[in-house]
Order: sequence, then structure tokens, then C-alpha cells
Amino acid sequence: MRLDLDGLDVFFPYDFMYPEQYDYMLELKRSLDAKGHCLLEMPTGTGKTVCLISLITSYQFAHPEVGKLIYCTRTVPEMMKCIEELKRVIGYRKDQLGPEGEKVLALCLSSRRNLCIHERVIEESDREAVDGACRDMTASWVRKKAEAGGGGELCEFFEGYSANGSDAAMPNGIYSLDDLKEFGKEKGWCPYFLARHIINHANVLVYNYQYMLDPKVAGMVSRELEAESVVVFDEAHNIDNVCTEALSVDLDKRSLDAASRCLGKISSKVAEMKRTDQARLNAEYQRLVSGLADSGLGRASGGVAGSAAGAGGAAAAGGGGGGAAGAGASAGSGGGATEVAAAADAIPANPALPADILQEAVPGNIRRAEHFVSFMRKVVEHFKTRVRVQSVESETPLAFVHRMQQVTALERKPLKFAYSRLNSLLRTLEVTGLDDFRPLVDVADFATLVGTYTEGFAVVIEPTGSVVPGVYEPVMRLACLDASLAIRPVFERFASVVITSGTLSPLDLYPKLLGFSPVVRTALSMSTVRKCICPLVVTRGSDQLPMSTKFDQRDDPSVVRNYGALMIELAAIVPDGVVCFFTSYSYMEMIVSKWDELGVLKRVLEKKLIFIETKDVVETTLALDNFKRACDCGRGAIFLSVARGKVAEGIDFDRHYGRAVVMFGVPFQYTLSHVLRARLEYLRSTFQIREGDFLTFDAIRQCAQCIGRVIRSKTDYGLVILADSRYNRHDKRSKLPGWVLQFLDETHLNMSADNAAAMARMFLKDMAQPLDPLRLKGTMLDTKKVAARNREKTGKEQRNASELNPSAAAAAGGGGAVDGMEIE
Amino acid sequence: MDAMDDHDDNDGAGYAWEKGFERTWEGVEEDEHGNIKTREEGQRRNRRVRRRVGGESIKRGMIRYLYLAIDLSKTMADGDMRPSRLAVTLRIVQDFVTNYFDQNPLSQLGILVTREGRAEKITELSGNPKAHMEALTKDSDTKGEASLQNLLEMACTSLRAVPEYGNREVVVIYSSLSTCDPGDIHETIAKLKTHKVRASVVGLGAEMFVLRRLTEETSGDYSIAGDENHYRESLMAQCTPPPTPPGREGAMFADLVRMGFPAETQDVFPSLGYSGNRQELSVSGYSCPRCKTKTSELPSECVICALPLVSSPHLARSYHHLFPVPQFDEIPAAAPAAAAAAASAGSAGGMGSGAGAGRATEEESASSSYCAGCLRDLSGLPRYRCPECRSAFCLDCDMYVHDSLHNCPGCC
Repeated sequence: MRLDLDGLDVFFPYDFMYPEQYDYMLELKRSLDAKGHCLLEMPTGTGKTVCLISLITSYQFAHPEVGKLIYCTRTVPEMMKCIEELKRVIGYRKDQLGPEGEKVLALCLSSRRNLCIHERVIEESDREAVDGACRDMTASWVRKKAEAGGGGELCEFFEGYSANGSDAAMPNGIYSLDDLKEFGKEKGWCPYFLARHIINHANVLVYNYQYMLDPKVAGMVSRELEAESVVVFDEAHNIDNVCTEALSVDLDKRSLDAASRCLGKISSKVAEMKRTDQARLNAEYQRLVSGLADSGLGRASGGVAGSAAGAGGAAAAGGGGGGAAGAGASAGSGGGATEVAAAADAIPANPALPADILQEAVPGNIRRAEHFVSFMRKVVEHFKTRVRVQSVESETPLAFVHRMQQVTALERKPLKFAYSRLNSLLRTLEVTGLDDFRPLVDVADFATLVGTYTEGFAVVIEPTGSVVPGVYEPVMRLACLDASLAIRPVFERFASVVITSGTLSPLDLYPKLLGFSPVVRTALSMSTVRKCICPLVVTRGSDQLPMSTKFDQRDDPSVVRNYGALMIELAAIVPDGVVCFFTSYSYMEMIVSKWDELGVLKRVLEKKLIFIETKDVVETTLALDNFKRACDCGRGAIFLSVARGKVAEGIDFDRHYGRAVVMFGVPFQYTLSHVLRARLEYLRSTFQIREGDFLTFDAIRQCAQCIGRVIRSKTDYGLVILADSRYNRHDKRSKLPGWVLQFLDETHLNMSADNAAAMARMFLKDMAQPLDPLRLKGTMLDTKKVAARNREKTGKEQRNASELNPSAAAAAGGGGAVDGMEIE
Repeated sequence: MDAMDDHDDNDGAGYAWEKGFERTWEGVEEDEHGNIKTREEGQRRNRRVRRRVGGESIKRGMIRYLYLAIDLSKTMADGDMRPSRLAVTLRIVQDFVTNYFDQNPLSQLGILVTREGRAEKITELSGNPKAHMEALTKDSDTKGEASLQNLLEMACTSLRAVPEYGNREVVVIYSSLSTCDPGDIHETIAKLKTHKVRASVVGLGAEMFVLRRLTEETSGDYSIAGDENHYRESLMAQCTPPPTPPGREGAMFADLVRMGFPAETQDVFPSLGYSGNRQELSVSGYSCPRCKTKTSELPSECVICALPLVSSPHLARSYHHLFPVPQFDEIPAAAPAAAAAAASAGSAGGMGSGAGAGRATEEESASSSYCAGCLRDLSGLPRYRCPECRSAFCLDCDMYVHDSLHNCPGCC
């Protein structure tokens, strides 16, 4: 359908659209017009992705001055989905406009692990190993040595790329990861470096959050994107956590020990180099004297060698000019060659944000390699003494640094440079296996962050940081408390940032947490053919005793028994798959063992098989696989899972895999966690967000996320059991997203288990009746209805405009009208 | 939890507090004019709509070999239908079997059940309704779990031997929400597909993925019984022969099927004749035109020479599936009455309800319109008009004409 949306020619690849899709695109367009940020909530399964892509590419097409569309996703499968939709949209545009409509270059960006086509390298097990193996063959000094006849294996694809690919333009098209690999194989060019190279020519980029948010990665990848670009964060309900994680570092005793071993290795290397290649060390020293800014690191403003310091599992990278240090070392070669070399040596940039890095020379006391090594040794030793605590300590970075200064006489300033200096050293020493030095890099990361920031962070040292309770395993955490730190540069740089997800309620909290002011802020409800979600708030068991996972009640035998009874009941009446979410692993373990004693599990097993999520990813994947098989073959299964686990975040239980989702309890965070306490304290003092509000918001957002797992399309249906008396309270309930609340009648509240079972039976019977295709179509908009809607909207707006001050209404670019649509 | 299970045998007359929630107020809806409609009426309209699909004449197989597979697992004892699912099922199956032979006199039926994870054959394929029902009522204990795979395997093995010209069908009545299988059920589904067995399912409770897949793969129907009426309706829908699947048309069909039209014999003294597989003494019977064996019921298959025995009215009855009554056009209540009234004038006598009634309609139809079937006043009601003879009917008569009579009284 080609429609005229508020004056914009939109290419929408389907013949019909839902009314909420229309509204969504309208809101989106308004924020693009106003060149502002927006916050949009639309239920899952209503075609968010296609709306986003369709509107923004159409907008780009109509307004060529708009830069790239940068689409950030959380996972590789989501990336695939996005590219698929993009292909459909562009395909449709081509049908409509001919070859003119096809002029788009879109590509996915991912780590070497996902893009490498070298047979040997790709066989490596994990991401770091692939990166290492690649660097072994592509680092500038390795290539130089090979050129000089010194032997060493080179990657044929990289050589192919550096010979031709770096200048060649890529033909227009839409390249998924597989397409890129295919293209690379065909041409003999390395897809990874090719993708990195053509970022600047692409119209649409699809990549992981970290590429935008983690300063270590973003410093190299996203630095050169034009400011007019539109940045989309899809599934962004957890974006504040991603932001804080990107700037947080954990150090435990073991990693500190490993760091000292690394230092030993380095110092012996330094000593060896001193003997054999004194000139190199001197060159490095000279560079450092002249300051980071002038030393060819200018573009990276601190981007020096190193390795992804693992925070938040950065989807590894490298690239851009980040590795200009290497280029500096091999200075003198021509422009193009430098760039290629730089790309190959690419390493993550400084963990601190570009704006916070001082444009100064590296302090004198760490310029010499051996001085720096002894400096780091002191730091590590100090950390080692600090981590040995018997009780929890929590302090501000300022206090931490002050104490450090008192004990070790190390100043704050060199700390800031630890990360850059270390990377420079590693490069000088020609280290490719950065993986081995990870612990040391972590320490440097910690030191840099703690030296740079005085606000928004907390250092928490806990004696029992490990997963096994009761074991003394101290851990030192540098926790970022302010989500806005990591994302602020993004908001400041790009014209429009779109934050969207199925669960963003309550909408007014996100702007506070992330520190931005959206011009559009809307939650769209779901247009429905039938009541496909049936939320039931179960507060009591059949014996009328309340059930709740409240701290003082959760161990109560009656609660455990009633939860068990509910489970048995559901196993009997719900077909195929049921997904249960518990509040934590420990609670799940506790309740499952009690159920075993009570014989609940045995009775459930008569009806359905039971699978459990564990902390082990492999085990969980296996369990999921078997769960799906059990659902497929009609045996029926129950999956017991944890609200903040991997399953709750990324696995879909659509159709028969999730006919019911049960929330046993409200998934509050562990409120005794010191990191959380520090964050709450910070939120209260800085943003005036009350602790209770934030905790409830966070719990309900997790809960909504779990609910969203089972409804992936409008023809799907699912039962939602909220089994906790606290869900009945208005302050909890009202924070659920609109698309759940619209189905939550008064009669669905405060039910007992048997009431709920009767209701569930009815619901399942109703939903099993065939869906009338005519009715389904009736709710959708075709070209005619869209036109009618357009007229209606414009009419309304004109009226509004004439009522208000006409010039103000026009200037607001629709912003005024949007405010009126806010749904709280 | 299932306290109601103990009251299986007192026929629906349980105490009020033992019953599930009856939401009588939900059955009532208000339309846009403020008139109150009951849900039942809506359901009947829906049924009309459902029937519309496939109302045209399609090629249908007249000779069906159908296994009725009943899930007799523990879940059948559930009390969500009064008095129990089992009792309701038996009642409905009884009607189904009678109705099936009534509408498909040339077809055969057998009954399978599953319980305790096994499948059992209660009756072999045969044409005798009484024998089936007797066998089923005698052996209807519910026990253990159901096994869909075993059930389908057994049906498939038995149906494989059936002649090519017949339609192979399984109708499953499935009460459980899970199945306890020895192997991969999807292989069994593929097997059914290769052997061209059509599987339809009437489910109780909720929709199950395997059943959905089974019916989709074998192009059968899948319906979930909402209540007893819907249950009955869903099962009765299986009495109509399904359209011949595209792959089955053509060469593999035998053009001619040998059948016997036995003559009725009346003996002075009772003599031995076959009733199903059993011998009985009877006075009247039919003797097979080929081997002269006496059989007491038609339609059936001769026990000795396996000749299908039918009578000509049976054959004629099968025809209504091939030439169905055309779908009547719905005219909303507010439509001008004139056209329909004029049309109904010429056709009122067709119901055989007597000449007087016919005349009455003719006289009054000029001013307002009456149903051509029951002479009900149609003003203010939606009417249904036969496209051929343009007679108007009320909803009840429309249902009667299409579901039972299979002839438009106006047209004949």
C-alpha cells in the first residue's frame, strides 16, 4: 500500500495495516519533522519493525538530507528479522517506482565471529578467539613482517580486501550477514572489514546496541556517522540497564591475580624489547610526550590498542580509525594503506566517553614502559588489598581514589590514562592475543573510569559476590548508576533518536532515567479482533488463603501449596505449552523442592513434562529445545523459568509453545543488593525518583516482558495468570502496559484459583473457535480507509490550529497535538 | 478439586453450588437498535454462515469408510459437561451413528477407543448401527491416558485394506489435552497422508497443536466443542461426506461399484438371518441377490459374499449431498417486504401442511409476509429467501430445510 501520510509518500509493503500501525507511523513522522527524540510503545506482534522501516526509509527517500537510519537491536536473530522486513519494503518500493526505488545500501554489522569467512579462523570456539586469530593474520606488523619475507600466515580475504576492496564501492543492495559473507566469498574480500569500510556509504545500518552505547566500541564504529541520522533502539525497555552495564566493571580476586601474572609477562616482554628493539620503545615515548591529541590518535581521541574489556558482552569489534596508533607506528605509508592498516589493528576505544577525556599528554610518570608497568603493579596490589573485605563496603569513586592516594601515593590523573597507556604499550609490544591480557585490561578499565568520573558511579566491595551463597569470594564492582551517562552523547549527536518497545510503561520514567526530553511520547493500544489475551489476577488459593511472594509470606506452606495447586489445575486445563516465571533462581529452587515433597510435581507430570531453566546456558538451551519438542508432539510441557533470566528476555513462546504464562510473584529486584541500593539512592537524590516507584516500575516492566513472550501476533492467544495478591493493588496493576490493561476487566481481578480455572477454561474454549477472516480484515485499514483517516486527522488538526494560536501550532510541528494523545 | 466427578450418574441434576459458573447474563447481547438478542440466536446465525462455506456442489465421495475414534482416558470423566463428558459423548455418538447411516447408507463405520495409552478396536468396519452402539455402551470405562498415535496407527492399518473407491476417514473425539505416544506422531500423520486418510477431530476443552496439525495435514476439520449443543453440531457435521480431495479424483476410482438390491422376504415361521455378524431368528428379512443369505437389516454388507446391500431409497438419499439446497439469501429485517412477499405467494403449499394453510399464506402475503414454511409472521424478523423460487423463510425453517429436509419446499 502506498499511502499519503501527513504529506509524506509512504511505501508500506502490505495491502492492509492495523490502525495502531497508522498511528505509530504518524507519531514517528512528527518526531522526525520536529527533529526530536521520541518514545513509542506499541504492543508486540503488531508489526512495529515494518512500520519503523517503512516510514523512515520513505522519509529518507523524500528528504535526502536526512542521514542514515541506524537500527540498533539486541540480538542477531532480531537483526535478521529487520533486514528481512527491509528487503520487503524496498522490494515494494521498487515495484512502485522501478529501479529508482531500489537505490539503498543497507548492511548488518557484527563481530568477526559472525562475519568471518576464513575456514580456520571461523572454527575457533568463542568470539575472543576468533578476534585473536584474525588479528594474528591481519595486524599491521604481522603483514609487514610477512611482506619483508619473515613468514607468518596472512588471511587471503583480508589481502584481497586491502588490495581492491578498500577503494571499491559496494553495489546498492541490502546485505544481511549471510549476504555479506556471500559477497565476500565471491569477490575474495573480507566481509568484516568491507562492512566496516562501507559504513559511511550506507543508508541503513543494522547493528547491536553496544555499537552505539558502549563507548569502547562506539568510539570507533559510530563516530563518523552524520548527525542528521535517525537512530532507532528497538526492544528498548531495558536500555537503562544496557547503558549502566556498558560502563560497569567487576573485578574479583581471581581476575586480580591473573592481572598480576599479566604484568609479569609484560615486564619480561618490555625487558626483552629493551634489549632488541630499543628504538620502538623510544618512538612510543616520544609519541606520548607530544600528547594523545597530536599523536595520530586525534581522531580516536584516545582510541588506542586493547581489547574489548568485556563489559556487557560488547559484540566485539574493531575498526574505524581507532587503531591509529598502529598507523602512527607505521607512519609514512600512503593514505589508503594507512586506513586499511588502521582498520585491521582496530581495537576498542577508551571506556570513558569521548567528551570526558582530557586532551592532554600522558602524565610523565607513566610514559616509560617500565614505569607504567610498576604503576599498574601498584594499582593491582592496592586493589588486591581493597578486595579483601569481611563486610560490604560501598563508597563513591572520589572516596575510593582519595583512599588510594593516601595508601599508595598514586595520583588521580595517571589513573585516567591507564587504559590508553596500556593499549599503547600492548601495541608497541606487538601483542595480538589480547585475550590473554583481558584481566589486566579490566583493571585498567576500572582505573580509568574511577579516575575520570566522580558522579554517577559507586564502588561496591562485597565479600560474597559469587553465585554460590556462603562462599567467601570477594568482588569489587564499579557500578555505573546513571544510565544517562552512556546514552547522552547519542541524544546530543543525532537529530532523532527513537526508543521503542512493547513495554515502556510508565512512559514518564524513561525520559528521567535517560536524561532526554522526547517531542513525542505515546503508548498505543492494540486494536483487536477478539480478546486474545486473558489476564487473570489470582490472589488467593482455592482455600481462600492469600498467595504472594512477599518476603514474609513466601516460605509459608500454604503459599507453596496453593501455588502448587494452581499449577496442577493449569496443567490439566491448558493445552500444549505453559511458561511459568518465578522471581528468582533461589525461590524457584526452593519451591520446586517443596513441590517435590508435596507430590505436586508428580501430579503435574501426569499431564505435562516439566523443564527448568538453569544458570547454565547450554543446559537451558537443551531444555528449551526439548520443551518445544514436547509441545510439538502433543505431550504438553511446562517451562519453569526466572523473570530476569535469558528466557524471559529473548525467547519467544508463540502459538502453542505458550498457551499460558504464569507469574508466580512480582519480580522485584533483590533489594538487599548493594549495587541496587546505591543506584536507588542516586536516583532519589538526582532525579527525585522514589525508591518504591522505581522498584515497582522495574518489576512490572519485567513482568510485562514475560507476558509479551506469549503473544507474538494478533491471531495468537494466551492466558496470563498473575499469581500474587500484590498485583491486585492499583499502584502495581496500573503500571502494566496498555495492551494488557485493556483486557483486564474488573471481573478478572482478585480471583481465587478455582475461579481463575473456570475462567481459563472458558477463555480457551472461546479462543479455539475459528477466527472469522472477515472480522480480522474488518479491523484493518486498506487504502480507502487510510485516506478517510487522513482526512479526519487533517480536519481535526486544522480545527485545533485555528483554535490555538496558529503560528504556535505550526511551529510545534505537531508536538502540541501529540501531547494531547498521551496515554498514561 | 474435581468434586463434581463423583456425581457422574445423576443426570445433570446436580446441586446448584456444584455447578460451574453459569454466566447467563453473558448470553444476552444488545444490538444497535436496543433489541435484546440471546447468544443462542447468534450461534445459529453463525452456523448459517459456517454452512455457507462449501454450499456449492462439489464432488463428494458417497462411499465412506469411517472410524470413529473415541478418547476414553480419565479426562472423559470430567464434569464440565453435565453429567459427564462420557455420558454426553455416548449420547451424541449414538445419534451420530444413526445419523451417519441415515445420510450415508452406502458407507461403513467402525469404532476405536484409546485408554491407558493403548488403542482398542471396539467394532470392525460394518454397516450395522445397532451393533456399534451395543459394543460401545458395553465397554465404555474411562481409564488412564490417551494415545493419539496408537489410535491413528490402528485406524490407518485398518483403513489401508479398504477399496480404493471409498473415502477413508477417521473422526477423533478427543477429550485429553495431551497424548502419550510411543514414537513420533508426526511420522504417523505423514503416513495417514500418504494413505489418503482424512482425519477430523472434535476436541473437548481446548485447542491442541498436534490435532490442529493432524487435521491440516489430512485436510480434515478441527472443532472444539463449546458446549453440548456445539459438540453435537460439530460431530453431526461429520455426517456430510467430505469433498473429494483433489488428489483422489481420476484413474484410481473404480467407475462401477457392485451393489445388491435385495428383495424383502416374509416367512411364515421365523428363520435364522444375519444381523450384523450375529445370527438371529426373524420373520422378515432381505435375501442377498447373489447368495440368497438372509439379512435382517439394510443397508449392510452380506456376511457371506461381502456384497453391499442397499435399497433404492437409500441410494436416493445419498444424493442430497451432491445436489444441496442452495444457500438462502439473508434479507435484514428492515428490508422492503414487497419482493419477498410476492415471491412467497406462489410457493406456500410446498410444505405439505395442507391446502388451507397454503391458501392463508397466499391471501395474506399481499399485505405483509409470512414464512413459507411455518407461516410465522416475518415482519420485523430477518428473512431468508430461496434464490430459485424466491420463497421467504424464517431462520428456523431455513435451518430445517437445509439440515433435515434437504429440499426446498418452494421449489418442488
